[in-house]
Amino acid sequence: MKHLLKIELIKTLNNATFRIILILHFILFLLLVYLATRIDFSVPGFSTQNMFMFPNVWGLFSWFASWFNLLFLGIIIAVLGGNEFAFRTARLQVTNGLSRNELLLSKIILILLVAAWGMILVFLSSTVTGLIFSDGLTLQKIFEGSYIVLVYFVQAVGYMCFALLMASLFKSNALSIMMYLLYFIMIEPLFRLFFPKVIRPYFPVKIISGLTPVPEFLSLTSESQFITSSGKNQLDFDAIGLMPSSIPGYLSFILSLVYIGLFVVLTWLIIKRKDL
Amino acid sequence: MNEILSVSGLTKHYGSIQAISDLELQIEHGQVFGILGPNGSGKTTTLSIITGIIHANSGSYQWFGRDPSPESLQKIGSLVEIPYFYPYLSLLQNLKIIATIKNIPEEDIGRVLGLTNLLSRKHSKFSTLSLGMKQRLGISAAMLGNPEVLVLDEPTNGLDPEGFAEVRELILQEARNGKTIILASHILDEVEKVCSHVAVLKQGKVIARGKVHELMAGDDVVRVTTEKPEALKDLLVREGWTKTITKENGDLVITLTDDKSPRDLNAFAFEKGHVLDKIQVSKHSLESQFLELVKNNTH
Repeated sequence: MKHLLKIELIKTLNNATFRIILILHFILFLLLVYLATRIDFSVPGFSTQNMFMFPNVWGLFSWFASWFNLLFLGIIIAVLGGNEFAFRTARLQVTNGLSRNELLLSKIILILLVAAWGMILVFLSSTVTGLIFSDGLTLQKIFEGSYIVLVYFVQAVGYMCFALLMASLFKSNALSIMMYLLYFIMIEPLFRLFFPKVIRPYFPVKIISGLTPVPEFLSLTSESQFITSSGKNQLDFDAIGLMPSSIPGYLSFILSLVYIGLFVVLTWLIIKRKDL
Repeated sequence: MNEILSVSGLTKHYGSIQAISDLELQIEHGQVFGILGPNGSGKTTTLSIITGIIHANSGSYQWFGRDPSPESLQKIGSLVEIPYFYPYLSLLQNLKIIATIKNIPEEDIGRVLGLTNLLSRKHSKFSTLSLGMKQRLGISAAMLGNPEVLVLDEPTNGLDPEGFAEVRELILQEARNGKTIILASHILDEVEKVCSHVAVLKQGKVIARGKVHELMAGDDVVRVTTEKPEALKDLLVREGWTKTITKENGDLVITLTDDKSPRDLNAFAFEKGHVLDKIQVSKHSLESQFLELVKNNTH
């Protein structure tokens, strides 16, 4: 385990792509958080100040951070995972006595590290912002609802495990990045339409991206259906993904873990059989 | 028997292309074993299978008398096909990764870089190296941790004449230290100068194997110019002097039977009334012998 961590650190910390993506991720996330806290308006029953108080801030910042999972964290893994095959360094490691299981394990360690980095970022920014905006705090009040950060962690792991699957499936990095993005934004959403409504929420992208939903206080719950003059639903927010998922949170969480397990097993099967 | 590697019935095809079929190899401790064959004869495929990179369609192999495992590969230094490293990492960082996998102290990195004169470039990125330097790094990496067995695929590939000689000397040095070396090459001269044993591969099959000096021992070729070549040819064939005899540009090209020398031939011909205008003896070139070996085995 320790030696796998060591080789992953040599590979990643000296990699320009990795460093730049992580630095961009850091800067853009903090910028987003900073700009959001600058917004200040209130209407009866709703104040932006409210969003940054505990416990709301946990959900809000986890939701913010989830925007970066697809583009930043997933692509880091698609690139670094794909590099092992593109540079043929997977072969270098195997000929020198790394097992194929360890090859996969070292990438999972990397995924957990990157997800932990994202989680720490969310945790610290939420804590600091919450402390600034809230009054009369108790420890219990602060950490109430902070579990969502852990949910964010699982979501990040889910995106990255899927990216790793794509990286092991396709020989070219460009292709695996494209397929990874396409699957999330086009293939699955279109594919879902062929299935009955009751099944649609259970697809992997739907489940994993639904882990950190739009915080309830921002959502359009009370106006979930637009009634047109003909009396029919014109827009189904649930279907187009603007609405929090209709599946209970705990079930989403469990299903996400199942899908992550599935991605890892598929990746393992591919790496096991692959000619490097 | 101190068996290092045994390969039996190994078969691999890429789609419809048969890379190797039913390959058998036995390599014992201390041998410098050459795998000789033209391009596409299955050398790299064989080495890729025994170093765990690709899977055979059928057949099996054993390292050190045991089924293959990552642990056995840790005891082997290998350079298969061309050297692949992380292009954005320095030589030092690349070798650190290998040292970590093989559980070798990092102090050994300096030694192996010194062996191939790369020590001054240890902080350079791999991508900045010339082809020859990349090849040298591949050899350094194989030597890391002083492994008992070296698997080298075309080790002098891309090297200049000086590097060629250095690497060859390095391999010979390792051989003298009692290492077992498996060396694939299409250069006959290399195999002849470095190896103790050889297996000749053609279209994925072993067509000849044995000790290099036995397999490659060539008969002398005698080229004779005389007035009546046909008559001399008939005479020599009748008297059983030759293994082969052909007529080329009016000359006779002869390989004599083992008990006859060119000197005997000259005396015998003169005695029978054939004056030899010219007699020229040449060593049968190893290159042509190799080509013959490969050619004769068309299936």
